[in-house]
Amino acid sequence: MKSATSAAIATLVLSSFSWAANDAFDKGMKAISARDYPAGLSLLESALTQEPDNLQFGSEYRQAILKYARKIHPKEGQPADFDRSLKFFEGLMAKNAGAANGWLNFGFAVVDKIPAAGAISQVILANSALSYFTKSIEAKPSWIAYYTRGVSYLFWPKIFGRAPLAVADLELAMKMQKTLPPRGIYVRGYVALGDAYWKNDELDKARAMWSEGLKLFPDSTQLKDRLAKQGDDLKTYLDDVMDPSKRVDTDLKDLWTTK
Amino acid sequence: MNRHIALSIPFAAGLILAAGTTQDRWFEDLTHPAGFVHPHTNRVFKNKYANIMSGYTSLGASVAVADYDGDGFEDVFLTESSGTGKNHLYHNNHNLTFTDVGEAAGVSKGNDDQNATAAALWLDFNNDGRPDLFISRFGHCQLFQNMGGGKFKDVSKAAGIDGYRNAIKAIAFDYDRDGRLDIFVGSYFQPVNIFDPATPRFFPESFETANNGGGLTAFHNNGDGTFTDVTDKVGLRQTGWVLDMGHADADNDGDDDLYVACDFGTDRFYRNNGNGTFTDITETALGFDTKKGMNAEWGDYDNDGLLDIFVTNITDDYMREGNFLWHNDGNLKFTDLARETGTFETGWGWGGKFLDYDNDGWLDLYVTNGWVSAGKDSYVPDIFEMITRPGVDFADVRNWPPMGGKSLSGYEKKRLFHNEGGHLFRDEAARHGVDSNLDGRGVAVADFDNDGRLDLLVANANGEQRFYHNTMPPGPHWVAFLLQGTRSNRQAVGAQLRLTAGDTTWLRFVDGGNSFAGQSSARVHFGLGPRSKFDSVEVRWPSGLKEVFRGLAADKLHNIVEGTGRKVQ
Repeated sequence: MKSATSAAIATLVLSSFSWAANDAFDKGMKAISARDYPAGLSLLESALTQEPDNLQFGSEYRQAILKYARKIHPKEGQPADFDRSLKFFEGLMAKNAGAANGWLNFGFAVVDKIPAAGAISQVILANSALSYFTKSIEAKPSWIAYYTRGVSYLFWPKIFGRAPLAVADLELAMKMQKTLPPRGIYVRGYVALGDAYWKNDELDKARAMWSEGLKLFPDSTQLKDRLAKQGDDLKTYLDDVMDPSKRVDTDLKDLWTTK
Repeated sequence: MNRHIALSIPFAAGLILAAGTTQDRWFEDLTHPAGFVHPHTNRVFKNKYANIMSGYTSLGASVAVADYDGDGFEDVFLTESSGTGKNHLYHNNHNLTFTDVGEAAGVSKGNDDQNATAAALWLDFNNDGRPDLFISRFGHCQLFQNMGGGKFKDVSKAAGIDGYRNAIKAIAFDYDRDGRLDIFVGSYFQPVNIFDPATPRFFPESFETANNGGGLTAFHNNGDGTFTDVTDKVGLRQTGWVLDMGHADADNDGDDDLYVACDFGTDRFYRNNGNGTFTDITETALGFDTKKGMNAEWGDYDNDGLLDIFVTNITDDYMREGNFLWHNDGNLKFTDLARETGTFETGWGWGGKFLDYDNDGWLDLYVTNGWVSAGKDSYVPDIFEMITRPGVDFADVRNWPPMGGKSLSGYEKKRLFHNEGGHLFRDEAARHGVDSNLDGRGVAVADFDNDGRLDLLVANANGEQRFYHNTMPPGPHWVAFLLQGTRSNRQAVGAQLRLTAGDTTWLRFVDGGNSFAGQSSARVHFGLGPRSKFDSVEVRWPSGLKEVFRGLAADKLHNIVEGTGRKVQ
């Protein structure tokens, strides 16, 4: 009896917690739409504090940080513009080490800062992001976590020997996505694994992977572009794709909006 | 009628293409035949940090050009950095060969246990018409007064410029327009004795915002053979890891502004206030960067009447900073157009210099590059292991990994960017055979055989120089000017020349040693393309006097003396 009551209370608390988090999130998004960034960011942080593992909350919060940075300092923002989210996630994850999606968003928050940083800071940040993606995998292995860490390895120059690590992660992600219900977002797995093979000097496997992907996603321009290029043209194209100084789209919206 | 003195220099026999060259290749490597037979050697330190320092002191190869004996042919000073190595003064024998007269001239002793030569600068500090020689050193700088007759006198102590600093670069211009050349010295390390450091904390504290470097020193020329340190007074105190400085009149207001390229941090732009002081306007002029500025060269690459700036940074697989080509937008604002113009990527860049090598009227660009070319193993993973180590104190040299026999951005090909009409550059270095993969540091541009085609002399660290003689087939026209100030500093550093031919006007100026590890000719060279004549050249002297000279012939070098032209408002 006592335990049943406790369970009921716990359910009530959790649902009201969830309601409060959603309310804060909705209000936060409205404030961001109205360009009231200080209020909006505080509300989104409140939502995340209540639900640290909420992938959507974290993603939208990071996008709001990015918009605010670009408003203050056009183009890519200044490094300090991103420190708020890094500090916030640092505190959040110190208390919620099991929140795999929290680590993922923490890593992406670091990635978001990279284009605004200097060349050496970019390396330090990229290294930090990798460690957070690893913590996400340790907390709860998932397609998105392996895919993300695998793609992150691709941005490292070959001399650091991380191309094989990219292949390993992206092969795992591919294995996972083949067991999951098909979704449009999984085209990224084929693109990235092909890119990883290319970076690992396995051109034949790269082309095979892109071709396999194109059969499933015949409209993919990314796959078509890669398959249409050879030699130096392909290298120039992929070097540009993997240019660490260019901003990577870390908006995770596709995860909950695509079929 | 103009009273200018026109000195006609006959075309040299160099119009005939040398054997072994082709119509497509316009430069021939004459390094050895010319007599440049003393390769540069890096300093090997003997202190307890020597194994680490060796990787970061691959510096000191530089080249400076001037006609020190007034015989009408450009001579060369090449620096050496080894402990017992001599600096070299190569006298031009008028036939594309040179003879090292450094020892006889008294300018060869630049290295010992407490001093390492870094760069050289010719300047006529006493306005006697004879170029004097300033030597930047890690240690005590030197100033040699040109006494004439091929002899120099060390006046460093009397001049008051020999305080301890780790100087890597000097330029000279008359910042206060008092008719005398002042000296600006850039220093890399802070003034610790790097031969026997008392502290291990003398390396850069940050890779992007380091402020524990040597900064710059401004020496005001007192006109009596002495100089006064006026760095604070003129507003130039800073503590960046200065690698290069470049002066020019960015806003055409009559006085020279200053760009300072800093390694490990933000380059600085100083506006000359016109009253003997400068104001740091980096934020509004450029914005703050975190790159590894190595070079500050000015030139009007798009012929819009405003001087632009070329800065090298590091661009390699592991660090993609990209160079700056700061397009002068007017009103002391600049936009980086390196990506758009194709000048973004030159590897680990060092000295870069504008020149019109094909006399087509557009400034081309030669860029040296490469840090350390050694073994097949790369130093990159070692350095990044340190960089990503949490809490590491970069300023402490003991935390830096020894380079050993590894390479870092080595074996890079030099670039010769041909200017394709002011908006795009195309690399022609391989075509012309000027793409050596030695570890380049500086380049000097001069017409060593007075044939109207600009030659190149490249200084390489721990290696041979490269002397590239320009053998372009005849056709495009040119004209060059050597200016002599009377009210202005005699070398006319800072003078702007606007040459008009038909509806085209070009802007060039006399620079006082711009470009890292390289000083080019003091002559101002204009490529005229197919135009066999031009209408006029307007000279705006540093004194403020504006004069127009007309009726001058093309395909000649003209000596122009201040006050001999038609004065204009």
